[in-house]
Amino acid sequence: MEISDILNRSKNLGMPIVKDCIYRLLMNKLTWILILILLLPGLLGLWAYTNDKDERQVQKIDGENIYYYNDNANFELVGLPIHENIRENFIEISNVFVIKFIGVLMAIMFASELINEEFNRKTIQILRTTPISPLEIIFYRYIAGVICMFSLLAVTSLIYYLIIMMNAGFYGIKEELDVLVLVIKIVMIESIAYIGIFILISVYFDRPFFLGIIYWMLWEMIVSGGNYQQITVSHYLDSILFKGLENMNWDVLAEDFGLIKTAGNNTVNLVTEPLTAVIIVFIAAMATIWISAKGMEKRQF
Amino acid sequence: MSEVILENVTKNYGNVQGISNISVEIKPGLTGILGPNGAGKSTMMKMVLGLSRPSIGHVSVMGNDPFTNWKQRNKIGFVPEYDCFYEHMSGLDYVAYFLQMHNYTLQEANEMARVSLAELGLEDAMDRKIRTYSRGMRQKTKVARAAVFNPDIFVLDEPFQGADPTTRHLLMMKMKQWADEGKTIMISSHILHDIENLTDQIILINNGKMLASGNRHEIRNLMNNIPRQIHVTPIKNTNLRKLAKRLLDESWVRATRIDKENDELIIETDSAETFYLELPRIIKKEKIEVKRINSEDDSLDSLYTKLVGGAQWK
Repeated sequence: MEISDILNRSKNLGMPIVKDCIYRLLMNKLTWILILILLLPGLLGLWAYTNDKDERQVQKIDGENIYYYNDNANFELVGLPIHENIRENFIEISNVFVIKFIGVLMAIMFASELINEEFNRKTIQILRTTPISPLEIIFYRYIAGVICMFSLLAVTSLIYYLIIMMNAGFYGIKEELDVLVLVIKIVMIESIAYIGIFILISVYFDRPFFLGIIYWMLWEMIVSGGNYQQITVSHYLDSILFKGLENMNWDVLAEDFGLIKTAGNNTVNLVTEPLTAVIIVFIAAMATIWISAKGMEKRQF
Repeated sequence: MSEVILENVTKNYGNVQGISNISVEIKPGLTGILGPNGAGKSTMMKMVLGLSRPSIGHVSVMGNDPFTNWKQRNKIGFVPEYDCFYEHMSGLDYVAYFLQMHNYTLQEANEMARVSLAELGLEDAMDRKIRTYSRGMRQKTKVARAAVFNPDIFVLDEPFQGADPTTRHLLMMKMKQWADEGKTIMISSHILHDIENLTDQIILINNGKMLASGNRHEIRNLMNNIPRQIHVTPIKNTNLRKLAKRLLDESWVRATRIDKENDELIIETDSAETFYLELPRIIKKEKIEVKRINSEDDSLDSLYTKLVGGAQWK
């Protein structure tokens, strides 16, 4: 009954809440600090582009300009198509910097702004005196957080991709688009998972920023490398990345991504299939929304 | 029929007691809830709004538990004591935004919000960002948001706070109009004068306990018999002694004291009402010009002291 009510009312309620939340997130000073930090590697990429320009030579094949490393490059790279090497730089920087560092910080910050700041400003109390259900209060904020985080990280990934792949020319950019799509998919899954988790923390605790960082450090950084990593989001993101690269015939190993566990003297592969990983993350995200809504329902002011 | 019923309601915040064993029925019309800051007025209102639930006892609004029945919140308009704005919105956007929470379309919400804000004199300011609003304008915006969907019950927590005399008058007119329409209005204040012009029904609370409830005249009579200090500052400080001596001839003056540091006369009276009636006549006759008359509104505190300390309330 409640779900059908929510669906019927979504046209009038959903849009204004989502729009306002996105506006607040984009106008937040911390968001812009994160965007500036995100742009720094892009500047480094531009510097690398100008530096490495004289290490390439072009060959025209079937009307396409294909760039290769020339004799000025490291001897291991000479003769190799540039895009086949620098795509690894893109994956590396996306995985370590965008997904595992800024992405998590952004989710913590967004969830805190969407929930905790509204507690502080007491606007949530006014919302609680209107005939809107706790699930609606949480759900539309969640949607706004996911849209915002995904958009910012996806655009950043696109910018990184273009800057890093510039040395490989238009052909290289076209050739490795699958890698960009894979990163964007992971950023989407990450937004769905982390916004839910940090909204949950914001609803139940008064210091969500601090607790979010603790969760990230203890759970996602330490547990994710161990034998019980399937209870972390990082495991599923790494699994999707690993399988994606494997399917693109990259030479990758599960241990490079920490997707193994030790059992005696043996190591066991823990990689989760991408579809299973997506389903698990999605179910976990829905659970966090539901538990957050319950927390909001019971919260007293 | 009572719209709002509190039965033996106690609310604890950890070891701190918010309100204690309050039972009251609030009927349609205006009911003033009086008490100093921290008395428990806001706690009581939060429970009526469903923002908080009693530790002991039961709250019923239109026959339902307000904490769990969120659907009936479209019948309750709330003006909080505190600011609760999305500062980046205009007044119009803010009121329309909350109307959309009541499932109105954007177009309907904008039209209704425009009418409600205009009724409260904000037609020229409604398109400006709230962050540029004065306190009075903010107060009006809160009232517009609470009234725009025509609720049956109003919960108004210190609605006159920060309001200039014009705004205060306008808000009072609105409240009287709602009461005439048969709505139930709970209005809290720590100033008796705000309430006594509006309603006869008053609930007095202090330290989380209900001290008295009923007709304002009975409560007002209690207040008039409580000693009260009033500060009078003549333009010429040479008139201080003359005025002090003259006032001591009056039976309703208990004592006078000259405060040389502030050039003012502190008068203790048993009857504030008589004082305010008689003082103009006396200073006119004595040709004393006065630049300021000031009374810290401690009369409620005095009344509470009397009520709590008096045998009949023990």
